[in-house]
Amino acid sequence: MGAPDSKLVLPLAALFIAFFVAPLFVLLMLSLHDEVAMTSWTLGNYISFFTDRFSYSILIDTLLLGAKATLVCFIFGFPVAWLAARASARWQSILLFLVILPILTSVVVRTFSWIVILGRYGVLNQIMLALGLSREPLRLLYTEVGVVMVLAQVQMPLMVLPILSVLAKMDPNLPDASRALGAGEWRTLWKITLPLSIPGIVAGCILTYAASVTAFVTQSLIGGARLIYMPLDIYQQAVGANNWPYAAALSIIFMVSVMAVVAVLNAIGRKSETHGLG
Amino acid sequence: MRTTIARRHLLRSAGALGLALAGPRLALAEAKTLVAATFPGTWSEADRNVILPAFKQKTGAVATQSIILGGDQVSRLAAAKGNQPPFDVAFFDSPQVIDAVRDGLIVEYPVAKSPNFKELLPSAQDKWGPKITMQVIGIGYNPNKITTPPMSWDDLLDPKYKGRVGLTALNSQLGIAFLVEVNRLKGGTDDNFDPAFKFLAQLLPNVGAIAANLGAYATLWQQEQVDIAPYNFNFVQTLKAKDVPVELSIPSSGAVGWSTSLHLVTNAAEPELAVQYIDLHLDASIQDQLMKPPYDAIPTNAHVKLEGAITKSLVKSQDDLAKIRTIDWEKINPQRSALIDRFNREIKT
Amino acid sequence: MASVSRTQWDAISIKVVFGLLCAVALIFLVAPTLIVLITSFTASESLRFPPAGLSLRWYAALIDADQMQRAAWNSLVVAFWTTIISVVLGTAAALAIARSRAPLMRAADLLFMSPLLLPALAFGFAALIFINKLGFSPSIPLLILGHVIVCVPFVLRTTLASLSQLDPGLLEASEILGASRIMTFRRVTLPLISSGVGAGAFLAFMASFDNVPVSLFLADERTEVLPIHLWQQIETNLDVRTAAASGVIVIATLILMALAEKFAGLTRQMR
Repeated sequence: MGAPDSKLVLPLAALFIAFFVAPLFVLLMLSLHDEVAMTSWTLGNYISFFTDRFSYSILIDTLLLGAKATLVCFIFGFPVAWLAARASARWQSILLFLVILPILTSVVVRTFSWIVILGRYGVLNQIMLALGLSREPLRLLYTEVGVVMVLAQVQMPLMVLPILSVLAKMDPNLPDASRALGAGEWRTLWKITLPLSIPGIVAGCILTYAASVTAFVTQSLIGGARLIYMPLDIYQQAVGANNWPYAAALSIIFMVSVMAVVAVLNAIGRKSETHGLG
Repeated sequence: MRTTIARRHLLRSAGALGLALAGPRLALAEAKTLVAATFPGTWSEADRNVILPAFKQKTGAVATQSIILGGDQVSRLAAAKGNQPPFDVAFFDSPQVIDAVRDGLIVEYPVAKSPNFKELLPSAQDKWGPKITMQVIGIGYNPNKITTPPMSWDDLLDPKYKGRVGLTALNSQLGIAFLVEVNRLKGGTDDNFDPAFKFLAQLLPNVGAIAANLGAYATLWQQEQVDIAPYNFNFVQTLKAKDVPVELSIPSSGAVGWSTSLHLVTNAAEPELAVQYIDLHLDASIQDQLMKPPYDAIPTNAHVKLEGAITKSLVKSQDDLAKIRTIDWEKINPQRSALIDRFNREIKT
Repeated sequence: MASVSRTQWDAISIKVVFGLLCAVALIFLVAPTLIVLITSFTASESLRFPPAGLSLRWYAALIDADQMQRAAWNSLVVAFWTTIISVVLGTAAALAIARSRAPLMRAADLLFMSPLLLPALAFGFAALIFINKLGFSPSIPLLILGHVIVCVPFVLRTTLASLSQLDPGLLEASEILGASRIMTFRRVTLPLISSGVGAGAFLAFMASFDNVPVSLFLADERTEVLPIHLWQQIETNLDVRTAAASGVIVIATLILMALAEKFAGLTRQMR
């Protein structure tokens, strides 16, 4: 039953090799040359990146941005998943609908609406001033805080769905047993629920992280000119400065960095899995 | 049985939908399309509202706008060199013309095919492409917050404007011209920009926001996030028409400006349409329309009499236009990427 | 006595804390969409919220927005073909992956999912370089291929989830009763995974329609797509028509989602 079916994977595999692996390979090649015609090999692009504090500070800022957005997303997303897992089928559907809604509205639309919300006289400041929570309008637009906020909102579905999927499949006997043995809800959460939902949490974090670091539209519309992250740098070098080899090097460095973080998160996840059940 | 019928029906309607979706694409291919570049802000709106309908009426063809800064246009054309260019009409400020001619990105303008060309002022009749307007920069300010118009670029440094000053990234002409003018006023030369960057460093504590692009810049003004900043005459007029509180003040050190022109791109897909499109911009009645609010574009057609906001704030007559100080772009152009790079490093938080 | 009230306190406090965090999250999830929808009905030229007056003028302005309509049409065409190709290739691949434990298959699974993990911007740029090297220019078919790469992971994920819930006993029964492999697929497998495939198709369609990073490089001025057009408008002008276009997209999305929920049980596939 197995062998003939395996051939079904070939069409997609062929497409990926031709249109995914090959371009990435060409990208790597281009990054190791001086110009697009690829006449002379050089490590110059990489050297100039790593010897320039400005350049690799952009990389560090981007990787940290992803971490911050993922953290905020987790703090707010886990409760949503936790409550949804306990909700009745109807409420669950409603909650999920609300959670998926942002990811299905155009990213440009969503980011644009945040400009209206975070501006000096935007909605958020109007509320803050009206409630007396602040005496002066807050500066949120064009700050990293603003970018983190918008990223967390935009990527929240990516965090909630994997966690919910794991929580929903979790054996309900375990928390019940915990409660029967006298442990409070918080203890149950800490000792039972969280460890068992690590696979979902890790999956959610990986997806959220990967999406946040590459969120070009959000970073540039909310961040402005002073907050430069890798996607904008790549775009500016590629389209603005026409420096394709350097942009290619930036892309490779960016991809490798994100893959490294994802691999680390994955490893943490797998280690906690075996540890938690032991 | 029911499911089979339903499935066949579904397959048929999917097929029909597929054909329907493919069909109009074939139909669209029949109507001729011209892709023309235009600047963000005032000119993209002017082109869309005035030129595009006139173009459609005159030629029956449809024009598509590519809204892109002059510098980026040069990059895109250079990247596509040898292949079909991404647009047929280039919209350049003076600095880009030099680079484009040198790199063979544009061709000489076919004057014979453009009836309105000879109606332009002699200074606007350039063999590489007609000049369609001039742009002038000054100090933009919010008249509700600042009651006396600022008369000097040094006013930006005034501590009472802390956190209220705006800047725009150097990828736009507005950004570069501001830097060059400030450099000149502070004693720098075209070879030495240190005075300009010294001024920038002094200015940064006052800066509230730096916009990555002109749309974001306009948003800053509309959200009243900045009160005083370098700005361009046309952009200010367009924003005023949208009820944004902004005015332009020409500092006592004088107005600085440059000309803007249209060009036929090498290997254009529709060269005939491109020339007709450019020619429309030179027409006296069109330029007259563009001179009126909300565009207030300075005309270059000799038959158009200056009036309106231009005469009130800038110049009284066509002759005065020649007196607006210009910049030596031949010297500045080669330094452009270095300047942008240095600027980005200075402003990064 | 004391431990009972402590567990009661625990139960209440966790619900309060989580409930609060959840409420804030939901407000933040929904508010921006609502705000842009309301702002699109403004009568004034600016994007202030609350809007100065209500009017349909910006929706009316969309009727003349020729270029925006052309961009929207391009996006629809691209999304349509992307979805079709993704569903066909993705479902086939899912069938292969679900039925095999071979390491090569695991590797293939990882490969197909990797576009979700790698920066799509880098892939878009790589694709452009690749196309140029081969001597091509950006075009709609190439744009579609680029979109398939980044959208097929969605189809793969939901279809695999559906397949994992498929009882292999049903397939065995079908074979024992003499049905051919193709018949088993058409009559047994396909109907049972149809909602998974449907949900994946829906996600792939929306992902393609909304895609920016790949379109940024593979869609040029002659093949303009809607998200890039809207982004350009926001970057260059203070134009309320963008809010109206956003309003249309939001309403269309809501309708599509409601339909997907009704016919494919969208939210059920998300679990």
